[in-house]
Amino acid sequence: MILLQSPSRFLLQILQERVLSGEKGMDIDCHTVEFDDVRYHIQFSMRNPKVMVLSVSLPLPPPEAILHDDLPLGAVDAIKATYGPVVQILDPPKDGFDLTMKINLTKLPPDEEQRNAILTQIASIREVVLGAPLKLLLKHLASKTVAPNVDKLVALVHRPNESFFLAPQADKVTIVYPMRFQDSIDIVLATSFLQEFVEARRTAALNNVPSCMWSPAPPLELKGVPADALNANAGFVTFVVYPRHVESKKLDRTVWNLLTFHAYVSYHVKCSEGFMHTRMRRRVESLIQALDRAKSDAEKLKKLVHGASFKRMSLKNEGDSRF
Amino acid sequence: MGPTCQAVLSPSPRRPAPLQPPESRPPLPSPRRPPPLPPINRAPSASTCSFDLRRTTDPEVLAAMANTLRLYLTCIRNTLEAAMCLQNFPCQEVERHNKPEVELKTSPELLLNPVLICRNEAEKCLIETSINSIRISMKVKQADELENILAKKFLRFLSMRAEAFQVLRRKPVQGYDISFLITNYHCEDMHKHKLIDFIVQFMEDIDKEISELKLSVNTRGRLVATEFLKQFI
Repeated sequence: MILLQSPSRFLLQILQERVLSGEKGMDIDCHTVEFDDVRYHIQFSMRNPKVMVLSVSLPLPPPEAILHDDLPLGAVDAIKATYGPVVQILDPPKDGFDLTMKINLTKLPPDEEQRNAILTQIASIREVVLGAPLKLLLKHLASKTVAPNVDKLVALVHRPNESFFLAPQADKVTIVYPMRFQDSIDIVLATSFLQEFVEARRTAALNNVPSCMWSPAPPLELKGVPADALNANAGFVTFVVYPRHVESKKLDRTVWNLLTFHAYVSYHVKCSEGFMHTRMRRRVESLIQALDRAKSDAEKLKKLVHGASFKRMSLKNEGDSRF
Repeated sequence: MGPTCQAVLSPSPRRPAPLQPPESRPPLPSPRRPPPLPPINRAPSASTCSFDLRRTTDPEVLAAMANTLRLYLTCIRNTLEAAMCLQNFPCQEVERHNKPEVELKTSPELLLNPVLICRNEAEKCLIETSINSIRISMKVKQADELENILAKKFLRFLSMRAEAFQVLRRKPVQGYDISFLITNYHCEDMHKHKLIDFIVQFMEDIDKEISELKLSVNTRGRLVATEFLKQFI
């Protein structure tokens, strides 16, 4: 898996099983966590086996990100538009969560394909909620207008206490990600990855994709942003998105990719480290073999004899021999 | 262990060190050691070697192995061959103790002059010898930050497994990246020339591994970036 998938597999599986399970059902009450600290709480009760109560907790927003009733801009409208009558938002949400929804599985369309499509969309709830403001702004870009009542620079939360920035204009949207990593190795690997993004953009095959820049210092677009939001240790990545990148069909994919850019890079940094460890382990083995070759035959023989003639005596054996 | 080497290593009072600092003088031939045979004449041992530069046939590898690397490794190999003539030697201070003198450095008459072999500023190898032990420390090339991190990660990985490597020192000597400590017991257990083969192979492998790791990180980065950007087409 190179690209991150937007539906949560766990949610999707539970939903599909429940839809297929018929009338009888049992209590389910479970929590699950996804990357970037998105938490789900799933509840089914015995009395209403076809009604799922799903609570979602979003990453903690930094001070610069604007929220409306603890939800990103336009999230409620997006939920209503995406799910229609199947989903009902409960207000207020459960304690410790940002959003609680009642999902009525009896209202799903009878056609299997349509039903699966909507279940997948329910499992992609994080994309719908967190991506709502991004989608709103990019929709305006597609029609070459600027959304009304939107600041020149919009901060959107994508990780706990971290946000990325959008500078919407009528003909393009500039998106800046301050890249932060905890581990010093992650920082170095991510930096080299990000430089590869810039390099890859230059190849002929990728001429039409959003232009991509990386700089160690905050770019000009971020003027006036509080210093706290700018202490990125792996530099800043800037994407410039044009209307052709958000045409009708591409919009959803673009939203998801831009929303999870940091997670994507960080996922591959971790994979890369895992791969390095495997490699190093193999190399250690081959070096140990090289050292073993240096051992003289007499030494090897000595070990062999020792190994064969030595018998471990346990307490039990001792007891046996005594009686 | 040739008799000539024995004579050099006998715990007689140290000869005065040569006037030049050890860094500046050519490491071989050492003024106090008989010059070792040139590698060309070691045909019998070459056949048993697990590693031999001359046996590498891959043209790419041969090209990558710049002349300097070959000279550097040959120099280390020759120096090790001359230096690795260790004998059992009980501790002089404590009865019935037997300690690697190169680590304790309590009696100067048991130590020999250290030899420093440099390929360039960043890559060097320090060989310290005493009567019953030899310490080899190396500094690995770290051209940029990525190589630095990779080298650190890999060498820490190795040091943590020092137990499996017997001759590897848990901590490198200050100023170096990785150190070996070979005592006379190791020399008794293992064939000397194969032990030297191992050290040289180790040095070469580390260099190779780090550059391969770096290459794989870059390749992966390119692939990851391309896949991501393709989504916008």
